[in-house]
Amino acid sequence: MKVGIPRALLYFKNEKFWTTLFKEMGIEYILSPETNKEIINDGANLAIDETCLPTKILLGSINWLIDKCDYIFIPRIAYAHGQQMCTKFLAQTDLVYNTFRDRNPKLLFYDIDNKKVTAERKAILKMGKFLHIPKNHVKLAYILAKQTQLYYEMFRCESQENVVKNSNKNKILIVAHAYNIKDKYVGEPIIEAVKNLNCEPIIAEYFNAEQCIQASRNVSKTLPWGYNRHLVGAIEMYKDNIDGIILLTTFPCGPDSMVNDMIIRKYKNIPIITLTVDTQDGTAGMQTRLESFVDIINFKKGNL
Amino acid sequence: MRGYLGIDIGSISTKGVVIDENNNILASEYLWTEGDPMNAVKRLLKVLEKQLQGKDVNIVSVGTTGSARKLIGAMTNASVVKNEITAHAIGTTTLHPDVRTIFEIGGQDSKIIIIDNGFVVDYAMNTLCAAGTGSFLSSQAHRLGVSVEDFGEIALTSKSPTNIAARCTVFAESDLVHKAQIGHKKEDIIAGLCKAVVTNYINNIGKGKRIQSPIVFQGGVSKNVGVKKAFEDAVGAEVLVDPNGHLMGAFGVAVLAKKSGIEKPFSFDVADIEFKTTGFECPKCANHCEIICVFKDDVLIDSWGNKCDNGAVKIGQ
Amino acid sequence: MINNENIACFPQWANYACAFKYICEKGFETKYIIPPPITKKTIELGSKYSPDYVCAPFKYCLGCYIEALEQGANCLMQIYGGCRLNYYGELAEVILKDMGYQFKFFNMADINFKSIKSIVEHFKIINPNFSLVKVAKSIPVMMNIIKTIDKFEDYIRLNVGFEVNEGEFEKTYNEFLQKLNNLKNGKQLKQLKKIYWKKLTNIKVNKPSKIIKVGMIGDYYTVQEPFSNYFMEKELAKFGMEIHRYMNLTNTLIHNKGKERKNVAKKYAKYNLGATANFTVAEAIDFAKNKFDGIIQVKSFGCTPEIDAMPILQNVSKDFNIPILHFSFDSQTSETGVKTRLEAFYDMVEARNKG
Repeated sequence: MKVGIPRALLYFKNEKFWTTLFKEMGIEYILSPETNKEIINDGANLAIDETCLPTKILLGSINWLIDKCDYIFIPRIAYAHGQQMCTKFLAQTDLVYNTFRDRNPKLLFYDIDNKKVTAERKAILKMGKFLHIPKNHVKLAYILAKQTQLYYEMFRCESQENVVKNSNKNKILIVAHAYNIKDKYVGEPIIEAVKNLNCEPIIAEYFNAEQCIQASRNVSKTLPWGYNRHLVGAIEMYKDNIDGIILLTTFPCGPDSMVNDMIIRKYKNIPIITLTVDTQDGTAGMQTRLESFVDIINFKKGNL
Repeated sequence: MRGYLGIDIGSISTKGVVIDENNNILASEYLWTEGDPMNAVKRLLKVLEKQLQGKDVNIVSVGTTGSARKLIGAMTNASVVKNEITAHAIGTTTLHPDVRTIFEIGGQDSKIIIIDNGFVVDYAMNTLCAAGTGSFLSSQAHRLGVSVEDFGEIALTSKSPTNIAARCTVFAESDLVHKAQIGHKKEDIIAGLCKAVVTNYINNIGKGKRIQSPIVFQGGVSKNVGVKKAFEDAVGAEVLVDPNGHLMGAFGVAVLAKKSGIEKPFSFDVADIEFKTTGFECPKCANHCEIICVFKDDVLIDSWGNKCDNGAVKIGQ
Repeated sequence: MINNENIACFPQWANYACAFKYICEKGFETKYIIPPPITKKTIELGSKYSPDYVCAPFKYCLGCYIEALEQGANCLMQIYGGCRLNYYGELAEVILKDMGYQFKFFNMADINFKSIKSIVEHFKIINPNFSLVKVAKSIPVMMNIIKTIDKFEDYIRLNVGFEVNEGEFEKTYNEFLQKLNNLKNGKQLKQLKKIYWKKLTNIKVNKPSKIIKVGMIGDYYTVQEPFSNYFMEKELAKFGMEIHRYMNLTNTLIHNKGKERKNVAKKYAKYNLGATANFTVAEAIDFAKNKFDGIIQVKSFGCTPEIDAMPILQNVSKDFNIPILHFSFDSQTSETGVKTRLEAFYDMVEARNKG
């Protein structure tokens, strides 16, 4: 049996967790390739036009996988960090099934439908049962997978904190969801562009989630989405250490449409630029805007 | 002989067709609206009248369709005022009774109509903007220094169409300039544009629609063989273009006027009568409805645009 | 104790203002302004100060707040929900404060409903000296107002397209709404309900034997607020159709049939899709099974749950061979475009109905 993991959306939040889990459970898996023009086009063909870009990438990735594996892995996660998720994560299992219905897709998933701390573990055990893997075996695999993801995130966070402390370059905080910033098509060109302008890209997503979410409570009382809280909290924690903020979003992201406005209203003293990536044009034409943004930062610091 | 006149007034072009009781086309004309639908219709009527000279045709019923259908309906005392989706469907099914899918790309809008057993069962229209429609193609042709009539033929000579982002007019233009600057051949860019129009169409309007043969492609852009070819490549089936495809809306509404059985006096003399329209913003509430009044020789004959009764204009004084 | 300082206001939403007014004035003993009806100006104001691609209902709410503040409201209110609605309150509050307005904000998204203390604290925003007894007493009346409105409107939707004397339903119903605006107590509601139900059911209608039935589905706000869907139900009725709509406050807030709806949708959507998407799918299935002539989905542009329901609706449409027309509104949608599509929709369902 072979499981196909689409390299999209939740994968970027759980990459080490998922891959370790399948490896430890002894299940073969394949990953769809990094996002490319073909995946985007396939996704756009399959999705309703108004669908957000990351969901189009998800559908394009599944289109690539569907004939190459026995099961498509597409979990359903309604809560993260004890907070609400964007509804697309609630709907994605049904969305994928209905979009590919004519090709009779077989879906593998776990379902986190409540806020309890144990929800994820229970959901994984249930999936293990579906796969006929002994419970103890699944438990062990789960612990190992969780640890791997944790260490990976801790290491990532520490090395970034070192950069924040030690770098003399202009530090630009890129505020973007994991599935945007880590996507080859969406986030990577922006990170490269920032580096080429001799600035230090700081990725909000890489900071510790728990601490950031705690910090976000000072900024907004009712912000419903855990993932957005993580990002907002990162700004709050590091606002004195950065020179500018890029709000990188994909069209037409529901949560970002409101949260980015809130960020702009709450941090009036930091230069902020919003970059919106859409299906057709990707990140083309953003170079010029970034250049002038860096000029503004330098001007503000008296370096120009 | 009894004749039925159908007029289709779009934002870009105005089409007129006169048919007899057996749906034979007795006269037809296609001209530019030039932003003035009333004047365009007057010019249209003059041409049609000339074509009918010596044929002893008596127009007994008029139908209007297209974006200015209401205005022209009031002007010509029309029996039928129909939306362009139905008009196109009726026109096409009259000429091609077995048609299953109609692709239509006009000056500023595009639509898909799905037909089963001669009935419209599903349709969609573009919602976003003019990207991928006739006016978009002609402005891009102009930009490339090619006449829109030659556009299709040139596209057919391309071996590797350039990829062009055509979701939005503004982006498409900058992409086009960019692609030309980095050295793509002109014919490849033109073929790429045709392809982009089709991709855009299939992704937006054709999404979730069951596209089945026979397929008829019509509207102004159907004259473009490059776009026709791109459609055939995209759907993997033959796409028919009717020689009268650009007149299908006018033809359809003429058929509807005939079928309606409502006969109203009509004379080509309306081309000489003074019609005036005035628009004003109703001040009676914050909706500020734009109310249109049509005057025939200074007599108010129709008005519309009010959302509530406060804005109703009394007719007949 | 009566509070003379606060003037409360909830954004205009369908015809429910009189219910919100009742609970504020009779329950919380705080003045309430019914915001002016939504007009082009409301949505222009709302769009001007809202983030660009936030969903349209937020823009309508913000526009309503501005108009209400200009008329003297100083205690604004917002509810919460399973989607972006959960953040409507706080963002609107920050935007309006940035604009320089001074006001209190009763934000239900901020209440911890498991804690009595939290509930009471928030209620004190509306009136620091509110009486729990009075609030508790006014809740059943408010529910009854809502139920009456929904009952009347359901009836009107089924019949208004066939009225013999044009405009009779609208006139009678508006008269009723006017009276509700100054409702004194539950007893008066009962009387009014009786009188006007009789009046409405006595209005002459002329229904043909074969009736075209259309079902309305869509996001919570757009399907319920007529201005935001370009008065679609009214336009459809003009063609002479029966219009069916399930989504209203009665069926969601008062008798929440979420679970039952989820079961109906099960064959197509196994899980909760978020916000009202399962209702949308379940309604479409119900309409299709009951041999309706067509379904219309109205939604705000970018409404994620409704977008995710669309591929599912397309499958329902294929399986049951029923046309489903989708409308996606933003503040820029062209009115003529909407009318053209509706006319074509009518021609289509009429031809199918005959054939």
